[in-house]
Amino acid sequence: MNQEEMFMKRIKQGEKIEATDWMPDEYRQLLIKLIHMHAVSEIMGAYPEKEWVPKAPSLRRKLAIMAKVQDEMGHGQLLLRIVEDLVYPLGKKREDLIEDIYYHRVKFHNVFHMEARTWADAGLIGWLVDGAAIINQAALLSTSYGPYARVLKRICAEESFHMQHGENIILTLAMGTAKQKQMLQDSLNYWWESLLFFFGPKEVTPAAERMIHYRIRTLTNEQLRQKFFDKYIPRIHSIGLTIPDPHLKYDTEKKCWVYTEPDWKKFSEIVKKNNGPKSRERIELRRQAHEGGRWVRQAMLCKPVG
Amino acid sequence: MKVANAKQAQEDQDYHRVLCEFLFQLADDELTLGHRDSEWLGLSPDIEGDVAFSSIAQDEVGHAVFYFDLLHELGEKNPDQLAFARPLTERRNATLLERENGDFAYSIVRHYLYDVFDSCRLEAIEQSSYQPLAQGAIKIRREEYYHRLHMSAYLNRLGQAGGEAKKRLEKAIHDIWPEIGGLFCWGEYENKLFEYGIISISVKELQERWIMQVKSTLLKAGLPWPGDWPKVKRDGRKGEHSPDLAKLLSTMSEVYQSDPSARW
Amino acid sequence: MTKKEVAEYGVYEVFIQKSYTDPHIHVGSLVAPTSELAMQWARENFLRRDSAVSLWVVQREHIDQTSTDFLARELDRKYREVRGYTENGRLWRMFKEKTLTIEEIVAAVEEKNRNLKSKNKK
Repeated sequence: MNQEEMFMKRIKQGEKIEATDWMPDEYRQLLIKLIHMHAVSEIMGAYPEKEWVPKAPSLRRKLAIMAKVQDEMGHGQLLLRIVEDLVYPLGKKREDLIEDIYYHRVKFHNVFHMEARTWADAGLIGWLVDGAAIINQAALLSTSYGPYARVLKRICAEESFHMQHGENIILTLAMGTAKQKQMLQDSLNYWWESLLFFFGPKEVTPAAERMIHYRIRTLTNEQLRQKFFDKYIPRIHSIGLTIPDPHLKYDTEKKCWVYTEPDWKKFSEIVKKNNGPKSRERIELRRQAHEGGRWVRQAMLCKPVG
Repeated sequence: MKVANAKQAQEDQDYHRVLCEFLFQLADDELTLGHRDSEWLGLSPDIEGDVAFSSIAQDEVGHAVFYFDLLHELGEKNPDQLAFARPLTERRNATLLERENGDFAYSIVRHYLYDVFDSCRLEAIEQSSYQPLAQGAIKIRREEYYHRLHMSAYLNRLGQAGGEAKKRLEKAIHDIWPEIGGLFCWGEYENKLFEYGIISISVKELQERWIMQVKSTLLKAGLPWPGDWPKVKRDGRKGEHSPDLAKLLSTMSEVYQSDPSARW
Repeated sequence: MTKKEVAEYGVYEVFIQKSYTDPHIHVGSLVAPTSELAMQWARENFLRRDSAVSLWVVQREHIDQTSTDFLARELDRKYREVRGYTENGRLWRMFKEKTLTIEEIVAAVEEKNRNLKSKNKK
């Protein structure tokens, strides 16, 4: 058996691969692509909610949303470390991985290109965007890459707080004044398309196929989207909201949700070309944070005199 | 003198007034700085450092909540009303803390200088005549330990690095110095605070302790001690504030004020 | 200093001890300019919620790691494990007794201690 066959045997037996194990280049590249995007999405995901940290309408909300955004950065940290170990043999480091964001060499989730316009948007991100992310991440818990699996375990545990936090904001608005309810409905109307985009296009791309082959992931985009519908559509309805899709229904024969396809061209425009409403502004924030903080990092490395 | 709880404090009108005034200073200092700290979210020089800074922001706001809770027990409005609905002229924080963040050097220096002040102040209220405050101060001071450690680690390292970092720190100290005096103004009841034992040392003595500690840290970091500071232009303890605070308050209360009677 | 030199933050592995009767357990890693900062950052990056009694940060280059085969134990070593002695149950039954387990002894001892403590209280 050659190295590659040995490796696949381990994968098929359900073994976890570690950073220091031999792995095919393709496996390494797929992991880097997936986890780098995941890490960067966490970091860029801090920005839409960060905008609402200074405006959170009670002391408790202020503390909770700070803790939540902090967790996103913390998840970014955990995931970056995984990527850093994977790119180490290729001569890349943290600095490069962050620069990749503003040189447009790494993508991040479509939702974080969108504007958080109202407090209801901030809540809805916590509820449904995090909900979608949790489904995504839960499906990755069984990934064949050990370091990723361990980090995901911790991330999922923390996400359970995010879920409660988001739901609490939403439930409060749903029980609130007419204006608050309207704000909530408006928010769902704005975010619904982005939520459909979140899981990616229906067709299984060659890269996705390879990821499934290596058991990096086990479910397809559409399977994940359907799981999201299963969990969240009944809850959205139960708090009196209307989903902005007149064709949405459950097909009892095929046992799946039927929905209006979003405009996937728009999706590509946002994610691949960074042309979403807030893409440029937020990437610029990340650039400023990184470049603007360079003098600190440089100085912190200087050996103290005497 | 020992005052066990809010009910006892309310029996002595003058004591009650002096105590509440002081609690507003404590609460507003922490809330304002915590708010400013939270603006660093996603913008720190390091991802790891970003996470650590956010915990400090949460600690500060958490401490403000503790003081607002005490005020509420003493008959003031509820903590959210106190935090979000009081006009600028009723805010009692030192003006230094409301200033916009500036660069990282400014934020670190301000935080460090405040942390030393706050830790001296907390030490002196651990023996406060107002028991609920004394008990809280013991807990809060233990949390503040980390803040000081963290800020002085930065200050020391950045100062010793020389070059751009040192220049930035020097500029920050220069910009901060005219407002330092605001920390050591405790409003019109300054003397009574001490007489009532709400705080166990005088503002003069606290100032001396602060100077001693800060001087030695600056020296170690290779930074000059700027000497005496001028009398402040605006005394935050008397409700005199800069446009920076007006802007901060309008941002902070934007959602809350859109319907103060609603639950959020 | 050039940009590449800046990238030389060290990697620190982080270990936390949840209580004094637990060992230090590895929880992840971070990059930091000094061990002092590594320690301070580790506190918030790994212990925002959980409590702990002790925290270690260790520079990764100071850790030696085993290869996979180093830990290979292929042949039977049941002679030094509890599960190598399952026949004791059958043997004891012949003497109309039961196997004693360490858990039972611990429980019995703790029971006794508890009694002692409650007596002392009285």
